Amino acid sequence: MDWSLVVKHNGEEIFTSRGKWLYPLFELEDVFKEKDYPRDELEAVEKVAGQAAAFLIVRLGIKKCHIKLISEKAIEVLERFEVNYTYDEKVPLIQCRTEHILNKDMSPDEAWQILRRRAGRVHGTDVSIEKLEVDLNREIIISGLDLEVSRGEGLIICGENGVGKTTLLKAILGLQPISAGTIKIGDLQVGSQIWNKNRHITGYVNQERVKGLFPVSASEVVEIGLAGRKLSRKVIRERVEAAMNRTGCLDLADRSFHKLSGGEKQRVSIARCLCQQARVLLFDEPTTFLDPKSREDLYELLLELWENEAPTIILVSHDDNWIDNFKWEVKELKGGKLC
Amino acid sequence: MLEVLTYPPVLRGFLILMIAGVTFPITGVYLLRMNLLPLRFMLMHGAILGGAIALSFHLNAFWTTIGVNLILVWFMSHSARSLGTDTGFISTFIMVASIGLAFVFIYVYDVPSKDAMGLLWGSLYTLTNVELWGGIILACIILLLQIIKRRQLKAFFFDPSIAFTSGVNESAIYYTVILLTAFTVALAMRLIGALLLDAIIILPALIAILQSKSHGKVILLSCLWGGIFSFLGFFIALWLKIPTSSAIALLATLVFLFFYIMSKMRK
Repeated sequence: MDWSLVVKHNGEEIFTSRGKWLYPLFELEDVFKEKDYPRDELEAVEKVAGQAAAFLIVRLGIKKCHIKLISEKAIEVLERFEVNYTYDEKVPLIQCRTEHILNKDMSPDEAWQILRRRAGRVHGTDVSIEKLEVDLNREIIISGLDLEVSRGEGLIICGENGVGKTTLLKAILGLQPISAGTIKIGDLQVGSQIWNKNRHITGYVNQERVKGLFPVSASEVVEIGLAGRKLSRKVIRERVEAAMNRTGCLDLADRSFHKLSGGEKQRVSIARCLCQQARVLLFDEPTTFLDPKSREDLYELLLELWENEAPTIILVSHDDNWIDNFKWEVKELKGGKLC
Repeated sequence: MLEVLTYPPVLRGFLILMIAGVTFPITGVYLLRMNLLPLRFMLMHGAILGGAIALSFHLNAFWTTIGVNLILVWFMSHSARSLGTDTGFISTFIMVASIGLAFVFIYVYDVPSKDAMGLLWGSLYTLTNVELWGGIILACIILLLQIIKRRQLKAFFFDPSIAFTSGVNESAIYYTVILLTAFTVALAMRLIGALLLDAIIILPALIAILQSKSHGKVILLSCLWGGIFSFLGFFIALWLKIPTSSAIALLATLVFLFFYIMSKMRK
């Protein structure tokens, strides 16, 4: 018996996996995206299931399962969501860190967000900064700054005006020369040759401000995300359309970018980052100049993007009311360090 | 009227005017987009300095002027980027310095100042073969750059920082655009004179901006208007017996005013 998960529909095997840990359940999630089965008619047979597997089974909508080795925590979850289960052997806990990380009172969606990040099933990548020093005009702006943001995580950086928030973002983008330290996006060290060829992995959305009235259409702005790559016209058009569709701004494609509202411009800018396939998104005061409705729209779009594609997001803002909506870690930049 | 085209200098002038008319407005779009309008004035002063040097040392005035202007443009763009200042500040300084230096040459080498200033007026019908081919090659380079690098140029003009994060070598684009603009302005000076070069470079771009919603359309329309002004300006000049540069400038100004008023009325 070398399988780890089998799923049957009316007694017929429709899915078998030999994968380890939670990967078979994530594979099943992908299968369900392609083909929709009546979930309540499915039966899953799994080798080992802890609390994490139980949450994923619930989220997949499977109503009947048989587990060879089950943890008590998994049973609590399955019972809470009224899944019909049987098992061969029961243990208090299985040997997996997720048994301690998750909480039985969580919603399946909350658990899924945590688990997919642990499984690396996110678009984002790690950001790692060590002992960063940046000076501007011989004045030290950032001194000995360390930062770790895991793939697919969101981080908010706040702080007074002039403390160096934008400078930090520009250093991460490679636009601001640094005096000392290292910045890594995934495995790529900012400033290295290999990073230089892959600069598009970091997307940048700056403050919405009117920088000029020179004509440029919304679709041209989105296409800028692909300006550094050699792609056919067809591929470019497809990617631009997909990105604009994703952020709900496809209907603005032919309109002049500078004549769009602040909120519409931010949608177009986010579509540009998606088109560029950025794995880390940096937002610099995105709500400046936005009206309350546009701020709300931007919040919903960012949250939805973060939950689905899960890029790593670093957001600089001193809009306290707005950032309170996000349940992300908040750090303050003060005296050249993050605290 | 067409029989004048049987004269080789006139035909040569007409050809280069048409080629320049269709391609040079592309650099006008670059100039406007990068807010490099002071560059024109700097290059005019550079032309006087180049002329003064050429006349002082008996050099070819056209190539000396281009050489001097390239050095000034390199100095301006390099200083502006490394000091992080606006190109306007640096070009104002260079303007003052170059005109001062030009008059030192004129005084020390006893150059007739009328000859040096004459370089500002241009002369379409006295182009040499070298200048004609130089113009054709420059026009080809402008067109090729615009076609091959259109996406990178668009990104750079939108926002150099964002272009950089998209993987565009924005520094190379910046220097290429500046150099190309310097060559174009220098050649346009030779064609229709420094004082009227806006008619062939800037006005078609300005009219195209008034009519467009996208960058691609601005480029296309500016080339179209540049071609129309050059063609009609040439024949209007023959018909009314006025200088070609004046005919082009007046025609471009009238069309610009028409579209400007139309756009104001629409608002």
